[in-house]
Amino acid sequence: MPAALDDAPAASFKQRVAAALANPDLKIAIDRTTRTARQKREAAVADWPGFAPARDLGRRIKDHVIENLDHYLVEFERNAAASGAKVHYAATASEACDIVIDICRKTKGHTVTRSKSMLGEEIGLPHALDDAGLNRVETDLAEHIVQLAHDRPSHIIWPALHHKREDIAALFREHHHTPPNSDDVGAMVASARRELRPSFLGADIGISGANFLIADSGAVCTVTNEGNAELTTTIPRVHIVTAGIEKLVPGLSHAFVLLRLLVRSATGSDITQYTTFHCGPKQQGDRDGPDEFHIVLVDNGRTRMIREGIKEMLRCLRCGACMNHCVVFNEIGGHAYGGVYPGPMGAAMTPVFDGLKASRDLPSACTLNGRCQEVCPVDIPLPTMLRGWREKSWAQGLEPQVQRRFLGLWAFAASRPSLYRFGTGLAVKALRLLGRGGWISNLPLASGWTRYRDFPKPAARTFWQEFDAQDRKREQ
Amino acid sequence: MSVRDDILTAIRQSLGAPAKPPGAISAESTALAAESAQSRPELPHADLVEAFAARLTSVKVVGASVDRIARIEDAPAAVARYCKTHGLGLALALQPDPALAALDWNGFELHAAISGDEAIAVAKARWAIAETGTFVFHSGPASPVLLSYLPMHHLCIIEADRILGHLEDYAIAEAGAAPPRNVNFITGASGTSDIEGRLVRGAHGPAFLHGIIVDPGLSEPKSS
Repeated sequence: MPAALDDAPAASFKQRVAAALANPDLKIAIDRTTRTARQKREAAVADWPGFAPARDLGRRIKDHVIENLDHYLVEFERNAAASGAKVHYAATASEACDIVIDICRKTKGHTVTRSKSMLGEEIGLPHALDDAGLNRVETDLAEHIVQLAHDRPSHIIWPALHHKREDIAALFREHHHTPPNSDDVGAMVASARRELRPSFLGADIGISGANFLIADSGAVCTVTNEGNAELTTTIPRVHIVTAGIEKLVPGLSHAFVLLRLLVRSATGSDITQYTTFHCGPKQQGDRDGPDEFHIVLVDNGRTRMIREGIKEMLRCLRCGACMNHCVVFNEIGGHAYGGVYPGPMGAAMTPVFDGLKASRDLPSACTLNGRCQEVCPVDIPLPTMLRGWREKSWAQGLEPQVQRRFLGLWAFAASRPSLYRFGTGLAVKALRLLGRGGWISNLPLASGWTRYRDFPKPAARTFWQEFDAQDRKREQ
Repeated sequence: MSVRDDILTAIRQSLGAPAKPPGAISAESTALAAESAQSRPELPHADLVEAFAARLTSVKVVGASVDRIARIEDAPAAVARYCKTHGLGLALALQPDPALAALDWNGFELHAAISGDEAIAVAKARWAIAETGTFVFHSGPASPVLLSYLPMHHLCIIEADRILGHLEDYAIAEAGAAPPRNVNFITGASGTSDIEGRLVRGAHGPAFLHGIIVDPGLSEPKSS
């Protein structure tokens, strides 16, 4: 199953958005998944009276870890090493990939099975494994679809969300040895099971991510519904974990609090089918398990997030609730964001990974409706962060000249009340001339707005005109 | 400096505050862990066996069924019942646990090594958790991990006194013990919602999970 990855989209954010909006299938595909996700999450939260206090506790557990991150990193390293794990550190994405490739070479691995990991996507590991000539097999069903389609994940929980089932059936018919005989989802899943089983059994190296790193035992926790993580990490000779340093928790009990929040927010279940704690390589007498167990702890911008004033981002459990509930994500999908992480959490983090200059459109593509923070299981102040990036972008002079000029003009008028009132008075009169029955259906200079919806016709007088009139009436 | 030291230094410098003494960190962490008792979900029954059985057969757990027996010696009969109901043969992978090996498996075709397309595996779980309907396995010489992941039908035997209330009770029960290579929390059959968010069973792991509760409080075996 050779797989060449398409390169990241080169077009601008506006071009990517235009392409996404022009694709009618994409909107159908997004809605089919996110609507279910929102309904299931809502039901799960309603079913648990303890959700609000648990959310508050989860936030404080993550903040406690962030404030003492160096302490827990050292504690985790000590306990992991004692369990027989080999712990590696990587400051950047390329360092992390180099470490993984180096382990693959030293252990003479050829076939590498991978269990879905967002950190792996973040550091570009799929690409690096392909470039190193390794036979990479994605085992998560959605990642398998993405690999066959030669495209990129578009959601952090449902990476193949942008594909309709009809397209996936066609893809499986083209690539699977014993393809499904219908577009039935069950038949497709069975086909993927048949197709991937030999790869699981024949792999030399298994690579997983981590949902939690348990400091007091050195164990790595993975959370899946398919069971692919355990088949990936138990059968091969070598198991490599790549994990962001923010995944640390003090102990098992803390992990359980966060697990309840994570799963309900992600899929609406109370727990995933498979929650596994991996601790070191095969032990004496064990019937299965790898001979070598490596953990690559990755910074890649996390300490920079603390410096940039968005350390709350390190609370993120990667549940995807923010994007499921985002009005912008639900229109444009994940690929338009251009980064590894889409949606609100992606818009908040991508400037750290790709630089603000390249990603300044993302924090602006937000209505600031606050829904993402409301549904976030650890209360990350995403709207505040996105506003912060907008301010930084302005302060660094990254906004386009036209926008800067118009804002300058507005600021000039706004700091001169009489000029401002005169100007708005004129504007209201002009707008009312364009209105028909309470609405303006064609607005010069704003046809982009009125093409899809009418603009409300303003009231006869401005607020200040009305205020002055009432004031005069009262004095009489 | 090594990458490790660079990262540790960068963390401390970025936080802009001195490191707290380990004793203070540990006290905070203990207090946070204790607080979870206030928010954890309520169990449907005060009786843990009832709560676990109810949970396992609820819509919350994917593809699971349950049977209850009074003595572990009744386990082979319960397994045979399950196989008959599902039209399965009596060839299965049996967990190499001494307690299971000691039972009378007359009529079955047993093997310890699990194959890539195993139909049935029978294993005794170390713990169960009523809150979530979870079976907990520890890997070890008598408990291979793959027994839980390769078969199509996963049959889990659990003794009533090994059923815990909440997830945290597992942490308490195993506190201080040396961890095995794998602790596997298994809640229902394998599933995926990767295609249009629709749930389908048997993605890579088992499509069926059957719990057999050994409850000495039970005089007559019954099925549900």
